[in-house]
Amino acid sequence: MGEAIVITSGKGGVGKTTTTANLGTALALQGKKVCLVDTDIGLRNLDVILGLENRIIYDLVDVIEGRCKIHQALIKDKRVDDKLFLLPAAQTTDKNAVTPEQMKSLVEELKRDYDYILIDCPAGIEQGYRNAVAGADHAIVVTTPEISAVRDADRIIGLLEQEEITAPKLIINRIRQHMMKNGDTLDVNEITTHLSIDLLGIIVDSEGVISSSNKGEPVVMDPANKASLGYRNIARRILGESVPLMAIEDEHRGMFSKFKALFSR
Amino acid sequence: MKKQLVNMKGTKDGFVLRLDDQCAYAELVEELKRKVSEGGIDGKVDVQLHLGNRYCADEQIKELVKIVQETEQLIVSKVQSDVLTVHESNQKMIESQQDTYVGVVRSGQILRSSGDIIIIGNVNPNGRVEAGGNVYVLGKLKGIVHAGVHGNKEAIIAASRLEATHIMIADQVEAMSDEHVKAINQEEMACAFIGYDGRITYDQIHALKNIRPLLNVSKGGS
Repeated sequence: MGEAIVITSGKGGVGKTTTTANLGTALALQGKKVCLVDTDIGLRNLDVILGLENRIIYDLVDVIEGRCKIHQALIKDKRVDDKLFLLPAAQTTDKNAVTPEQMKSLVEELKRDYDYILIDCPAGIEQGYRNAVAGADHAIVVTTPEISAVRDADRIIGLLEQEEITAPKLIINRIRQHMMKNGDTLDVNEITTHLSIDLLGIIVDSEGVISSSNKGEPVVMDPANKASLGYRNIARRILGESVPLMAIEDEHRGMFSKFKALFSR
Repeated sequence: MKKQLVNMKGTKDGFVLRLDDQCAYAELVEELKRKVSEGGIDGKVDVQLHLGNRYCADEQIKELVKIVQETEQLIVSKVQSDVLTVHESNQKMIESQQDTYVGVVRSGQILRSSGDIIIIGNVNPNGRVEAGGNVYVLGKLKGIVHAGVHGNKEAIIAASRLEATHIMIADQVEAMSDEHVKAINQEEMACAFIGYDGRITYDQIHALKNIRPLLNVSKGGS
């Protein structure tokens, strides 16, 4: 029996879908059987980020309305052998095509066959959010170090606390190291104390995330990338390992400090 | 000699009209009319009406006030009665009860209490607290808080950190600007209350003992 985790944020554009794709891939790389469910009906993106867009035949609404069996709609990601699957959202209808009860029974069915079900939640707190949360056992809230994203995260945590799920965990995404260091953005401590929930991990801002998403290949496949390391660490924490929080430091060091590092070895 | 039904007395707060509480209401009205028409006062004077143990309905109080003010020399500043109706008494009892909430009041959440409320945790921006009585926050108050929602002007708000966006007490509203927040010494716990000028005022928490002495209900000690 697997666990269903909803990934949500309230505000749009903070990286829910990217986080879902990367965490799913990272968990699959760790040998777990993972199913990603895109609940952003009408504005689906998860398939694009995973590079699986051209393989969609059936979608979530087809499954719920009984036009196909669940395994017919699932798309296997061939890069991670037999471990990662995607249930894409429908693009032609809207969020009201599905009810929370239907989502709940769908997720229950998936939980029998998979270790982890990651549910990508749409932005907002309306029908789409209610659908996404319905079947979940746990929740991950994604935010960025911006005040607007933190406000919305606070709202969504309040709503999640009323659901029958475990206490939500926090991911702080898109940390710009030099800005946080200079105090131009909220720092990690400030955000966690303000939201007063457990921190699951931090992801530094990296151009690699954008370029790899555009190529349809999650950044977590690239072991050299710093954002990738953040996602891998979070995946290990989900699996129960205790991994220290990675240090936030500016990677663009000056010539002088490079020399200094060279000689001080 | 017949007992006087209406007594006028001078006190340091101004004139007090003490009305007898045993006679019939009609008799009292007659006597009052006669008394105020006697005159003998120069200029305008504030008077207080003391009803004693007589229960007067709102219309009756209005009538009495109207009689006194007809002379255009006496102005009723206050009507005082020693009688409480069951409804008023119940209302007072509800308002004196105390609720405790442990946790964070988050954005979009409204926490309501008919009496006092103690919040153990922060009140985040856009979180809202409404209480019939006082509001105490053991944490950072960064949201919106309304104390004395039913009109209790004596209600106060106290917090470990008073950084609210809006503060309301009874019918008074105060939007907290940055200067306000700076004006309150943030190293200290602070409280908000309605001051003598009828506006919301802030002070450090140790001042509360003098501002609202009736809040103190502790027993024992020295």
